[in-house]
Amino acid sequence: MSGTHDRHGMDGGDGEDLFGAEDFDDGEFDDGLLEEELRRAAAVLDPVPPELQQLAVDAYALHDLDARVAELTFDSLVDALPVRGAPAAPRMLTFRAGEVTVDVEVTEDGLMGQVLPPQPARIEVLGGPRPGSPLTADDLGRFTADTPLSGPFALRLRTGADVVVTEWLRA
Amino acid sequence: MDRTDAGALVQAAADGDAAAWKALVEGLSPLVWSVVRAHRLSDADAHEVYQTAWFRFAQHLGRIREPDKAGAWLASTARHECLKVIRSAQRLTLTDDPRLLDRISEDGTPEQSLLESEEAAAQSERVRRLWQEFEELGERCRQLLRVLMATPPPSYQDVSAALGIAVGSIGPLRQRCLRRLRARLEARGAM
Repeated sequence: MSGTHDRHGMDGGDGEDLFGAEDFDDGEFDDGLLEEELRRAAAVLDPVPPELQQLAVDAYALHDLDARVAELTFDSLVDALPVRGAPAAPRMLTFRAGEVTVDVEVTEDGLMGQVLPPQPARIEVLGGPRPGSPLTADDLGRFTADTPLSGPFALRLRTGADVVVTEWLRA
Repeated sequence: MDRTDAGALVQAAADGDAAAWKALVEGLSPLVWSVVRAHRLSDADAHEVYQTAWFRFAQHLGRIREPDKAGAWLASTARHECLKVIRSAQRLTLTDDPRLLDRISEDGTPEQSLLESEEAAAQSERVRRLWQEFEELGERCRQLLRVLMATPPPSYQDVSAALGIAVGSIGPLRQRCLRRLRARLEARGAM
């Protein structure tokens, strides 16, 4: 399954080492060695930062089967055509879980959004596996946060008995 | 990470086994990191994409259709987030290779502090040269090799998900890239 395939049939091991490195028929075997050497180099020179890996371990707390996941169905970064010459438009996102839609606009100052169909909701802006900052959506489902988003975020919405969490995304 | 293992760990973690989750992170974290590094994001962006991939994986745990393909799921998620970073052009900052190399020499990793003897210093020099030649490869080769060198070695399915290239083209491309790297090392007398 990994990169270890059959060698190309050359043994290359009969004392002709003077030219061994030039002998490209040795191919697969040498390739495997070089890849292994790169693997060791990466482990020393560019390993996963330990504090980052710890965040991934802690992310287990985000596993929540009681909440419904609202999937990203529109992201202006991917789905919208840029307008030539227009200043950078705010990022527009749409999430959907069943009949509930959440529209979000990421601004420099934070975010604005609306829950559809319009309804009041208690909303938490999550930035990781810790409690997030609370917001409230008004009767029309509109909400605003005036803390700029940075890094990964998700919205946790409570509407009546229903809990919906938007897919994690990088702001 | 072996597919059967990944599938069993995903299942166990979804059922509440925190140790299984930790094992998943330990087994697949280097793959996710490699995908992010392959896309040459700034450190800050790289960290955020890595986190986003894991947060989303945790969120979808128990809802993932093919748990044995957890590696490919994470690799593909990381890739898509990397592409978004690259698209939002004003945020794009290229990794500064010399700085990366400097940083390595400044604050050595624990492994490096073990490399004290002269023999070890020569070995360390060789690793450094290997890394430098690798970094200077063409973009396609650099990307592919950066993903292939994850620990444990990723499956070709995972590599395919990480880079959006067909499984069938990985073998020939890998061969070509490794040979190109070897030729560069030989040209520098480093083999």
